[in-house]
Amino acid sequence: MSETTIATSGSIWTGGRSPFNVSYGKLMMWIFLLSDAFTFSSLLVAYGAIRFSFGGSDTPWPDPANVFNHFPGFHGMHLPLLFVSLMTFILIFSSVTMVLAVEAGHRKSNAEVSKYMILTILGGAAFLGCQAWEWTQFINEGGRLSHNMFGLTPEALAKAKELGFGDHVHWTAAERIPAPVPFAALFFIVTGFHGFHVLSGVVINIIIWINVIGGTYVRRGHYEMVEKVGLYWHFVDLVWVFVFTFYYLI
Amino acid sequence: MSGHHQHIEGEYIPETYVPHAESHGTKGLWFIFWVLLGITVVDFIFYFAMEPGLVRNIIFVFFGIVKAYFIIGTFMHMKFEARFLRLMIVIPAVIFLSYLVLLLLIEGNYVSIVKYLR
Repeated sequence: MSETTIATSGSIWTGGRSPFNVSYGKLMMWIFLLSDAFTFSSLLVAYGAIRFSFGGSDTPWPDPANVFNHFPGFHGMHLPLLFVSLMTFILIFSSVTMVLAVEAGHRKSNAEVSKYMILTILGGAAFLGCQAWEWTQFINEGGRLSHNMFGLTPEALAKAKELGFGDHVHWTAAERIPAPVPFAALFFIVTGFHGFHVLSGVVINIIIWINVIGGTYVRRGHYEMVEKVGLYWHFVDLVWVFVFTFYYLI
Repeated sequence: MSGHHQHIEGEYIPETYVPHAESHGTKGLWFIFWVLLGITVVDFIFYFAMEPGLVRNIIFVFFGIVKAYFIIGTFMHMKFEARFLRLMIVIPAVIFLSYLVLLLLIEGNYVSIVKYLR
């Protein structure tokens, strides 16, 4: 291959070639993702620190199992973790279709790149729909940036411990007490910031897909733009892994 | 040699250089998909099978790191990148993130002690 015939001396640092064997754009995408990783980590670490700081409080941090326990179509049932697991599945699936688009690009199969990018865009849209539903549910139950009512009275908490998967549950206003405000505020900030990344990922994917069907990358001779947007898309999936872990599991 | 026309043989132009990309097949990609799905299912099972506590949290964080390894390594193609690119991205992330996590957990705990347990 003509692309790899540059090196003359032993060291890769003597010039005349890319020491990272990567294009300028992809290198910059990696550096951007590194900085974005720090941004998301700061949010998640802030979440951890604030949650720890309520360790000795008499209004304890709400148990996610008693907050995120809804599933569309199963009203009033105690189904913790089920809906976010579905969201995780949707995002993992859209990740694999994205990487299949990248792989099809390596084989320069324009039709396959287009097909897999459509599937990725649909997956992203489905995830955003799920998140909109989750936010609606959260807001309807009294979650706000400035206050939240997800605390439970000691009697209700004892009842919550007895709940099995799929049991009927409905907390009355008398059973709900105010809980630490940052729980709701950080829910909006962390999942909102992630959701905004998903939204921009979907928009960028649509732009690249329009380029694909327009034949831009056939003319260009390579599909590196699909790889770059793929990196961004997988990063969004990567962040969700940790949002899922810290916000819903722990 | 399907037309990497920005790149003329023997001449390296940093702004337009694009290395040749090889397909590694789709088998490995689907395998990683099933691994990620499997770990998520195990997460789900452990969530109900284990008592909440430090041990369960450590298991969840460990699974998160395993998932991150597969996403970055295979889906983001990091395994196949040049060694110095891998190091340039991974080393700062690992060092600064562990530092940040450790410091802020200690701080959060301290705030809790000062606020509530004095």
